[in-house]
Amino acid sequence: MTSPFEPHDVTWNRVSPRLVTARLVPGTISLGIPLVVGVVLAVTVSPWFWILAGVPAVFLLWTFLLVPRQVRAIGYAERDDDLLIRKGVMFRSMVVVPYGRMQYVDVEAGPLDRRLGLAKVQLHTASVGTDAQIPGLPPDEAARLRDRLASRGEARLAGL
Amino acid sequence: MPEHDVDPGRSAFDDLGPDSPETLEWRRVHPITPLVRGWAVVGAAVVILGQQSLEGGPRGGLLALVSSEYWWTLLAALAAVALVGWGYSALAWRMTTFAVGAETVHLRRGILFRQQRHARLDRLQSVDIRQPLVARFFGLCELTLETAGGTDSGVAIGFLKGADADELRAELLARAAGLKVGGTRQVADAAQAPSDAVIDGAVPEGTEQVAAAQDAGQSVQPVRAASLEAPQVPVLTVPLGRLIASVVRSGAMITLLLWALGVVVVMIVTGEFAVISASLPAVLGAGGYLFNRLTGEFDFRVAISPDGVRLRHGMLETRSQTIPPGRVQAVRLVQSLLWRDRDWWRVQVNVAGYGGESEEKNSVLLPVGTREEALTVLSLVLPDLGVDEPRRVLDAGLDGDSRAESAYVTAPRRTRILDPVAWRRNGFTVTGRALLLRRGRVVKVLDVVPHERTQSLAVSQGPWQRRLGVASFQVHSTEGPVHPEVPHLEASDAALLMTEQARRARTARAAAGPERWMERQGE
Repeated sequence: MTSPFEPHDVTWNRVSPRLVTARLVPGTISLGIPLVVGVVLAVTVSPWFWILAGVPAVFLLWTFLLVPRQVRAIGYAERDDDLLIRKGVMFRSMVVVPYGRMQYVDVEAGPLDRRLGLAKVQLHTASVGTDAQIPGLPPDEAARLRDRLASRGEARLAGL
Repeated sequence: MPEHDVDPGRSAFDDLGPDSPETLEWRRVHPITPLVRGWAVVGAAVVILGQQSLEGGPRGGLLALVSSEYWWTLLAALAAVALVGWGYSALAWRMTTFAVGAETVHLRRGILFRQQRHARLDRLQSVDIRQPLVARFFGLCELTLETAGGTDSGVAIGFLKGADADELRAELLARAAGLKVGGTRQVADAAQAPSDAVIDGAVPEGTEQVAAAQDAGQSVQPVRAASLEAPQVPVLTVPLGRLIASVVRSGAMITLLLWALGVVVVMIVTGEFAVISASLPAVLGAGGYLFNRLTGEFDFRVAISPDGVRLRHGMLETRSQTIPPGRVQAVRLVQSLLWRDRDWWRVQVNVAGYGGESEEKNSVLLPVGTREEALTVLSLVLPDLGVDEPRRVLDAGLDGDSRAESAYVTAPRRTRILDPVAWRRNGFTVTGRALLLRRGRVVKVLDVVPHERTQSLAVSQGPWQRRLGVASFQVHSTEGPVHPEVPHLEASDAALLMTEQARRARTARAAAGPERWMERQGE
């Protein structure tokens, strides 16, 4: 067991691949608009505007390459006493949240998420540093996870 | 139930809470409170006016107004502001009542938007008595009870007479500790309370009550024979000379001096005096920080009682804090560069509810102290580290590094590229009761987290760390100055620590004592 991100006896659950779409749409919009504007200006006004178009194009390409890998890297696992969440491709991180430390659970879904059938589950402990969120869950799975976490948290709650 | 028709806004609340409303004795805060609170409004008005006159308005500003024949309008405006401030405070006072039940504290307040707050006493994290400068002239105090509900979750009851505040604090602590307290204010009943630890004998002469009475400008009252006040033993005080020296040697002071030097040099070179006024805000900011630190930590006294650690400090605004046992989430011992030759350390803590804007003022357990004093203070909040030779482990954590043999698991040599200065210091050790994380060489840091206070754990790894096969480890604690972490550990060490620490935290929580500390048996 050399990698801290691969504890043994843990099987990781992946999040829905539709999260790739959910993340690419806003990125494409925010980078696509300057790209289009840059291309139009370059064609009509001056070739110098290709620089304006090039920068968002590079970022857009990068986003398209990175986001699918990022989404594949997100994983969560329910163990008997705690929940593991890992994420990140270049900068990897993993967090362990004991059920007994959980104060409350949030389930959120924006308009795009709802269209794609996704929801985000976020766990809160008494620490503001706990960054424990699982994006891109199907709503059924999110609801199941929420109820399960809440019931486990209750059974093990012991003050702070 | 009281008559519903008389005060509908109030009756809507009356069914809440485990304590039935009839048994609660609602009390008001001291009638001088509006006068004290009103001053804040006047003070704010004066400050705003002062700023205006400094910056200069469109027509010569306030200075022109004062020197003109209409100077009295200014006074009239101030008087109006004062009247509004006092009037509002008086209304607020009328609407503020509080009561102490067997398990909860109730506070009702608010004029337009009524608020009723119930705080569960078994979730109490700390009880502080604060005395701002203006309130001191009247001998009044404000009592703040912190629960772990996040920012602004505390219950502030104020203002009260000094002796009343002490009595209320003693009552709250006794109830939170799980002692049975008689009638709400019948202190004498407590003599029959089924406890031996707290009410054994009278309060020691001197210390708290005398100090409180002196601060309140009152004559010293004889100590009651049967008081709820837990006896406290003074542990240490911070001498004024050392406090001043420590602030002079602090990083903020050095920055301030370098800045001032730079300004003077620039001024001489360019011959422009405008440099001074341009740099004034930065100097005022740093100066204000140093001033606040000096006045806030003035006359710092640490004492221990069965109800936990007692801190008392402050010059303009005095604070008397009580942190019950088991409420400290994490401790940090820190030494900045210029404190090293004196071997001074600063001790900070995370207590749930202390976070937020007042963090700088109330999260300090010891502003400056020798190594002995710092370790003494640490032992007050964490009496047992669960290790045979705690002193050796702590010394190694304070200034040891990987060259010396110690219980610490340290970062490997190859991480010196990532952290050329402090790589030898980065390390951790696990004792029976706590996790100790050390790091930093210029500013040395030792973080101590009791196993049962771990919230969640994290490991992280950047691209360079992955190439070197190392990872950083982090413990999440409640909001406060302590952020326990140790960078660049061997990946396998980090992995093992992560799994083992999760398990240890779980077992320690299961074995942890009850929230009501006096119900602990056999300790």
